[in-house]
Parts: sequence; C-alpha cells; structure tokens
Amino acid sequence: MIEYLIKGPLWYFSLAVFCIGVLWQMARIVFAKGKTDLSVARGSASSGAIRNVFSRFVPHREIAAQIRLQVVAGYMFHLGLFALLFFAAPHVHFLEKHLLGFGWTPMPHWAFIVAAQFAFFGLILLWLRRMLNSVSRLISTTDDHITAILTFVVMLTGCLALGKGFHALNLLHFFTVELLMVYFPFSCLMHAFTFIPSRAFTGAWFGRRGIDA
Amino acid sequence: MLDSFRSSILYDVLKLTSTLLLVFMLTAPATAGPGPPKRPDFPQGVSTTNPGNDLWREVRQRDLPVTGTSQVKGVDSGVLINVEGDRWARFRIDNPVRHAPTLLVAVVLVLLAFYVLRGKVGIEGGLSGRMVFRFTDYERSLHWCLAIVFLFLAITGLILLLGRTLMIPLFGHHLFSLIASASKEGHNLFGPIFLVSLLLMLVSFARRNIYEKGDLTWLLKGGGIVGKGHVSGGFFNMGEKSWYWLVILVGLAISISGLILVFPNFGQGRVIMMVSNVVHVFGAIVLIAVSIGHMYLGSIGTEGSSEGMKSGYVDINWAEAHHDRWAKTCHENDEILSAEEFARLQGNPIDSGDATTGAAND
Amino acid sequence: MARMKFYCDAERCVECNACVTACKNEHDIPWGVNRRRVVTIKDGEQGERSLSVACMHCSDAPCAMVCPVDCFYTTSDGIVLHDKDICIGCGYCFYACPFGAPQFPESAAFSSRGKMDKCTFCAGGPEDDNSSQETTKYGRNRLAEGKLPLCAEMCSTKALLAGDADVLSSIYRKRVINRGASAFNWGVNFNNSKIQG
Repeated sequence: MIEYLIKGPLWYFSLAVFCIGVLWQMARIVFAKGKTDLSVARGSASSGAIRNVFSRFVPHREIAAQIRLQVVAGYMFHLGLFALLFFAAPHVHFLEKHLLGFGWTPMPHWAFIVAAQFAFFGLILLWLRRMLNSVSRLISTTDDHITAILTFVVMLTGCLALGKGFHALNLLHFFTVELLMVYFPFSCLMHAFTFIPSRAFTGAWFGRRGIDA
Repeated sequence: MLDSFRSSILYDVLKLTSTLLLVFMLTAPATAGPGPPKRPDFPQGVSTTNPGNDLWREVRQRDLPVTGTSQVKGVDSGVLINVEGDRWARFRIDNPVRHAPTLLVAVVLVLLAFYVLRGKVGIEGGLSGRMVFRFTDYERSLHWCLAIVFLFLAITGLILLLGRTLMIPLFGHHLFSLIASASKEGHNLFGPIFLVSLLLMLVSFARRNIYEKGDLTWLLKGGGIVGKGHVSGGFFNMGEKSWYWLVILVGLAISISGLILVFPNFGQGRVIMMVSNVVHVFGAIVLIAVSIGHMYLGSIGTEGSSEGMKSGYVDINWAEAHHDRWAKTCHENDEILSAEEFARLQGNPIDSGDATTGAAND
Repeated sequence: MARMKFYCDAERCVECNACVTACKNEHDIPWGVNRRRVVTIKDGEQGERSLSVACMHCSDAPCAMVCPVDCFYTTSDGIVLHDKDICIGCGYCFYACPFGAPQFPESAAFSSRGKMDKCTFCAGGPEDDNSSQETTKYGRNRLAEGKLPLCAEMCSTKALLAGDADVLSSIYRKRVINRGASAFNWGVNFNNSKIQG
C-alpha cells in the first residue's frame, strides 16, 4: 500500500510539481519586465554577461581569505552532489529505466561513496558555519535551513539505503526525494537552474555600465 | 561439527591405534625401546603412527600455522581451519557485547550522581557578561562537525554491536535487519569523514594542546571539580588537553582499524580483520564513555562552558576560573568585550540598557 | 531425526575439484563465490593430502554466535542455514568461521560485500521448498526432493560423504579398520582382513 503510494501517485505528483514549478519559475524570470536602461552603453552587455557567469566561480580576491571555508566546503558539497546525483549507478539506472530511456556509464561504487563523503562533509560544514557565524545566522531564512536539512535527509536516507536488498530503505529515500522535488521550485533550491541566468543578468548589467566586476 | 568430527574420526583412529599399540606393547619384550624391534618376524611398520594424526595436527594448526593450496582463489582460501575465529567470536560476546552497556550506563549514572551531589560547577562571582574571543568560526564548525559525525558513528556502531541483544527482542529480526543495514552503510560512509575531521582537528588544535608546566598542578588539584579553589590553566587546561589527545590517539586507532575493516577489497587476512575489530570496538567504547563525560562538562556540568563553542566568545569570569593564564594574556592585550559590544556582534543589540538578558542570549 | 554431516576422507580425495564445480553448477553460484573448495596440504611433498571443505554445519556454529543480525538458524536435520533477507553483509561470519565457508558475491571498497552465501547442504533457505525465490537466493533444494548434496553424490572416489552422521561414521569406521589392518600387515586388504568392521 505504502509502496504503491510512494512509487505511484506521489511520484507522479512530485514529478509534475517539480517540472511545472521549475518551468513556471523560469518563465516568470524570463518574462519579467524590468526597467528599460536608458543610459548610453559604456560596454558590451553580452561580454559582461559571459564574463560574469565564469568569474563568479572563483571568490573575489579581497574576500577570498575570509570565506575560504565556504568556498572549499561549497565546492566539495556541490561537486560531490553533482557526481553522486548523475553518476551513481542506482541513479543512472533509475533515470534510464523510469525517465529518460537512455543511460550512461556510472561511476564505480567506491567513487560514488567518495563523492557522497565529499558532499556530506561539505554540507555539514556549510550548515554548521551558517549556524555558528553570527552574521550568517542572522541573514539565514527558514527556507535556507529547510533546504539544508531536506538535502541532508535525502542524502542520508540514500546512504542508508546502500545495502542491497532492503526495499523499505529504498522507499524511504524515494519518499524524501519526492518531498524535495515538491519543495524545490518554491525555495532557494531553484538556484540549481537560476544561477547561470542570474549571473548573466548581473553581468550584462555590469557590462553595459562598464563595471569591471 | 568439529567435536563430532573428532569424536567420529580422530577419536576412532586414535582409539584403534592405541589399542593396537597396547596389544603390541603387551606382546613385545620389555626392553623394546626406540631402537629396532628385536623380533625380526614382527612387522616393521608397527611403530609408525597413523598418517591421519599428522594430517589433523597440521589441519588444526596445533604446532604452527599451516597454509595449504587451493584452486579456489580467495582470502585465506588455503587455510583449512581458522583457529582464531571461534576465539574472536567468543571474546566479542564475552567482553564488549556483555560489558559495554554496563559501562556506558555506569558512566551516565556516575555523572548523574555527581550532578545531584555536587551540582553545576559554578564560577565565583557568576558570569560577568563581559566576553573574550576564544574560537573562530572554522574551529567551531570543525568541532561540531566532528561531534555530529562522532555521534552518528557511535549510535550506528552501538546498534551493530548491541542490537542483537537489545533491539531484536523489541523490533524483531526483519525490522532490526533494516536498521542494522542502514547503520552499517551509514557507518561505513561516515567513517572516513570522521578521520578527515580528526586530522583537521589535529592540525588546528595540536599546538595549543601541548602539555606545559602548570598542567601537573591541575591534575594534582583534581581539576577544580573535586576540591575548591582555583586551578591554573592556559588556553586549554590539563583536562581538556588530555581529552584532546585521547580523541586524537584513540580516534586515529579507531579510524585506521576501521579503514582496514572497510576495505576488504585489498584482501587482508581474517586475523588482521579480527585484531582490527577488537581495536575498533575497544577504542570506540572508551571514546564513547569519555565523550559522555565531555558532553556533561561542556553542557550542564560547568557554568558558561558551552558558550565558547556556540558563539566563539566566553565570559571573562569563566576564563579566569578555568584558564587563568590565558585570561591574563587577554587582559594584557585588552581583548575583553563589554556586554553591549558582544550583543551587537551577535546581532542582538541591546535597546533599553537591559544588559544581562542581551548577553545571555545566544 | 537425522543429523546431517559432511565427511571428507583425506586418504581418498584426489583433488579433482569436481565437488566445487558440481556445486557451482547445481546452484548457479555467481562468479567469485565458492561454496566448496578443495585444500591441499603439503602440495607436491611427501604426505600430500587434500580435503574438500564447505560449511560443516557446526552444532555450535561460531557464525551464528557472531552474526549481529542473528540471521542463522539450524534446521531439524542439524543443517545451519541463513536468511538472506536479514543478512547485512558485514563479514563477521567469515572471520569467525573455522572453515572459511561464508562467501560474499563482492568484496568492494567501503565494505560492500553483498549478501553472504554459503553451502546450504543443498537444503535451500527459509522460503518455500524449491520456490523460485528460494532457488534464486540459495540455489536448489535437493534435500526437499529426497536427494543428498550433489558434491558428495557425484564424488568419484567417494571421498566426500554427506548424510546422517551415524551412517557416515559407520562407513568411515569400516574404512579405518580395514586401513588399520593393512597398516599392520602389508598385503592384507579389505577382503582378507580378519577384523572387518
């Protein structure tokens, strides 16, 4: 019964919410009407956009030393999560079987675990720093904490379900993933889709105004 | 099976051999010694023992470890009888499985009794509200990261060690098997994170934890918890330093033995695995038992001590009570913040001069 | 009630490994798992002996004692079986087993071993006899069909015996007595021996 619910209606519901929600949010951003910039362009908006998309991957020199923990832990978490999300064998098989119809070469089991370890270590450090630094704590919203905890729970249930042949643990992981997918479009998790457009937008604005940032 | 093996085969063989030897000895002359038998008509082969004897002595590895060969490739596949396995299994049941719960419950009870009898270890003059900086964001993040990973590993490890006796009666085999599988996979995944946190901890805190001159006095005075009066301490006092080195050394032992256990793909023999398991379990139980004490002292046991790992700042009165030498340098360098300043740094600016509540807020 | 045992006669085993092959074939055992193996001691030296070993179905099995999830059970025939639905693949049984019987389909990093697999005395597992589930997990259940383990059934020198312990020991007793007689008097064999068992 529970299995039917989680693998049937709930899965289709969360998939629908995820897809429609993400598309709607992206559309909202794309079709948003901003103020027309009447100033005379001092530089190229497109080159500024492209430059900004890539320059934001490295921290600014002035603050690099102060945010070293966030940068290192942030990269550990995001790269680890990306690797285990798209290259873990169970995920690749799932995507192939239920969503895409085609698959690709997954990582070996040990690399999947190492990626998960990087992701866990990064996420724990980032969340702790968010809680322990007084400024980060003050500017953190409830949404930030919910996303951090939800992501952690999804990853944790996934790692607990690594043992083969324990169906209930897989279902638990599946369920938490559905929760995450439903929550995704309405939270800061949307940055997975918006980080490039948003960097490009800022970069274009900077580029047009001739700001070298 | 071994017993019945012995009773059915070896026993029979020995019985037969000894009976026949007895018959031979009764018929042989009394002078028959190690030399050749005097009666040439008696068969020469009699004094040879049953070849099965030698074989079984080797199989049971009575004299020295014997490894045979096998077409089947695998870990220790050439060893016919693994003599240590049963010993390890019994040792594990008789020691950690039997006594770990008692030990951990005893630690909790002792602390509880201590709390009831002695109460919270206070600070003379109470908290002043004036704060001094102690731990950076990174140091605190690292501490709590190690703490979270340690707790997770402790809980999952204890489930695997004690679950069979304590949890199967409650949950039944199938549900417990789910819990145990989750614990095992989680334990194996988080173990290396513990090691990395531990090594970062070693790098960050080692220099401040080197024992120095005043530390022996601290130990002789019982750390200020048992008796009354000030005990001298630097940035870390003797007790904290000892806990730190215990965590580092025992933690490394646990981590290394854990890595040996978690990588069976390198084909370590069973004896190495069993030794690692014993080291792992014993180290873990020691660390868990002492960590309960650390958690007690860091939270309800001592007034003002949790603040250092929460905001990174500690009350100057707390510093003077527990770390007077460090507090003195803080005074000299004029590093002490007023309650208002601290509240502002923590993002709780005090509006109406209610200084104490503002400072007490986290 | 029988008490099922294996017995391997070291004086007869010729290390042909047919028991290993038969077992693998009968139960469709995956690559890398060997429920049975033949070990040769003093290979190529005087006194060379071979023994075929698998799970010996101990009366007081160390694997069952050490298993953290208690997945072992002993049948009324004295066969030690395990439940793969409960096994978590920790490897403790392999450390504890005197005979190295427990096998794991993989031994990858981060202790990814898969569910333990071992000799079932051709008696399957806890599922219904010869159900498809039982067959996939544990191989065939010959005992339910009234047959003895295949390794012993097809042993060409009858070195490997399987069956009730009483029967096995009486067979072996006869063999030993006759061998004992021949050890005393060269030329005395099973037929002309006077102390036949």
